[in-house]
Amino acid sequence: MKFSVYQISRQGGRERNEDRMGYAYTRESGLFVLADGMGGHPEGAMAAQLALQTFSAYFQKAANPTVREVPEFLSSALMAAHHQIIRYAAEKGMLDTPRTTLVASVMERGHVYWVHCGDSRLYVVRNGEMLTRTRDHSYMEQQAHLGRATEHINRNILFTCLGSPAKPVFDLSGPVQLMRGDRVLLCSDGLWGTVADEEITAELSKRPLEQAVPELVELALKRGGPRCDNVTVLAMEWETADEFQSTRVSTEDIEDGVFASTIQSGTPDSTMEDLDDAAIEKSIAEINEAIRRTAERNT
Amino acid sequence: MSKVKPAPLPPDTVIGGYRIVRKLAAGGFGVVYLAVDTEGQQVAVKEYLPSSLASRGPGELLPQVQPEKLSLYRLGLKSFFEEGRALAQISHASVVSVLNFFRENETVYMVMNFLEGASLQEFIITAREQKKQKVFRESTIRSLYDEVLRGLRIVHQHKMLHLDIKPANIFVTDDNRSVLIDFGAAREVLSKEGNFIRPMYTPGFAAPEMYRRDSSMGPWTDIYAIGACIYASMQGYPPNDAPQRLEKDRLSLALSRLRGVYSDNLIEVVEWCMSLDPLSRPQSVFALQKELSRETERSYTKLTVAEKMRLQFDNIVSDNKKVMRKSTNAGTKFR
Repeated sequence: MKFSVYQISRQGGRERNEDRMGYAYTRESGLFVLADGMGGHPEGAMAAQLALQTFSAYFQKAANPTVREVPEFLSSALMAAHHQIIRYAAEKGMLDTPRTTLVASVMERGHVYWVHCGDSRLYVVRNGEMLTRTRDHSYMEQQAHLGRATEHINRNILFTCLGSPAKPVFDLSGPVQLMRGDRVLLCSDGLWGTVADEEITAELSKRPLEQAVPELVELALKRGGPRCDNVTVLAMEWETADEFQSTRVSTEDIEDGVFASTIQSGTPDSTMEDLDDAAIEKSIAEINEAIRRTAERNT
Repeated sequence: MSKVKPAPLPPDTVIGGYRIVRKLAAGGFGVVYLAVDTEGQQVAVKEYLPSSLASRGPGELLPQVQPEKLSLYRLGLKSFFEEGRALAQISHASVVSVLNFFRENETVYMVMNFLEGASLQEFIITAREQKKQKVFRESTIRSLYDEVLRGLRIVHQHKMLHLDIKPANIFVTDDNRSVLIDFGAAREVLSKEGNFIRPMYTPGFAAPEMYRRDSSMGPWTDIYAIGACIYASMQGYPPNDAPQRLEKDRLSLALSRLRGVYSDNLIEVVEWCMSLDPLSRPQSVFALQKELSRETERSYTKLTVAEKMRLQFDNIVSDNKKVMRKSTNAGTKFR
């Protein structure tokens, strides 16, 4: 399995960046996650971080080396992330719970699957056109879907998210069979709030990822002005040609049963899973694998 | 709770192909040995053996873990893995490097570069005992922290925080390199009592947000600790801890004692790094490096008579505090 990946998160004009993103992969499966911690509630960044860590931990367990039941995996990881946030709030005795949106995608055996809750989006671009994108769980998008006028609606009002006392509503999509050169982009509303779908599609189609993604983020920051929202974009290209060395990931480089991740683990709730012998062996193998990769990079 | 520390492995024991030479150090988390590999290369081997959860009789190889402590033991193992994972991704002269990781004797071992030298803490203690006006020369401080910051920058680039930077965790090698060590604290550790998990911090060096352990931690949290280390390198003692400072902040006052001894710029850098508000600190290592490497003409502002008098008055009222500070030393917690 080969893909290019490029990710950027920028704070914009906000006091902090509550967006989180990351990816993880085994030899035959890749996970991409993005969460946008919500303002108006406490510790949005923590909610987003917990969501990422839960997905990463679940993926590490499930991807062996493929996840197989991907939709089931995505929905159970999403619910687990939701429960982790609730538990975190309960343990800290918080009056209000931290909340986050979430979009996550799994690529394996040549197909892509995704799940989303809230208004963080996933776009699939093929041959210069938008193949599909997620529909936000916002009143604006809901009204638009019903064919009603949307000018007066605040796009920021969501009817679901992770961490709220109400059970999250989410949509599972896929599998979509991937073709060489397909691009999948995950983003927070900081991007799509000011950059239109057509622009995202066009930019993503005409340049390599490592140029298109920073370009899109810069555009969003410029348009967002001094009060610009956090802008986070995580994009990948399926089975790239070999010229994009810098960002290309070939999962063949890693051994069986090993997992690589950009998501920092060490959940505040480390009791989530107990280490058994197999997990210990796996951790040791992963660490030695990382040592080997680091040493290789330096020679 | 076993009061007796688990016995270290005896010299000449061979584990994972490494022959133990001697014990280097022992702490709450385990034992560090000097060992040699099959080619005779010296390495440091860290054995996971939390003294509050495991016991081992002299001459024995296998640690004993009581069944009711097994899940905590495994939990601690996770932090140990976290340290390995963190270090495995980094290869930099100013960050201790991990060479291997293996399982034996029903526990795990981390093999690291063996560093010869002493911790900055030991240097500070030796230097301050000479009772000179300066603990270290300003140029020494600037070049020392320039190196430390290069290492820390790489750590941050890997989206990790050290979270326990203190003079005891900055190692100065005999060939004059400074190396960041002990990333075990980067996560969570078992408390001494061994019955709950609690974040670890070293008073004086831990930023206020470390006590809250919330999402406001970031590169600036390590930068606070760097500021505190520079402070200790100038003053010979660690600064007041963050809760004390939140109650009554005497940092500026303490720093004003150093005016005329160290340049205004260096004193300002320390104050900047140690701002109680995380947002008021340098937000990245790069920002701090830039300021620290600014070798413009150093200006020194002498104290006025009134300021000297205020300082003297402060000496009298803060006598009690001093005793306490001495007892915490430069963060003597060693694990």
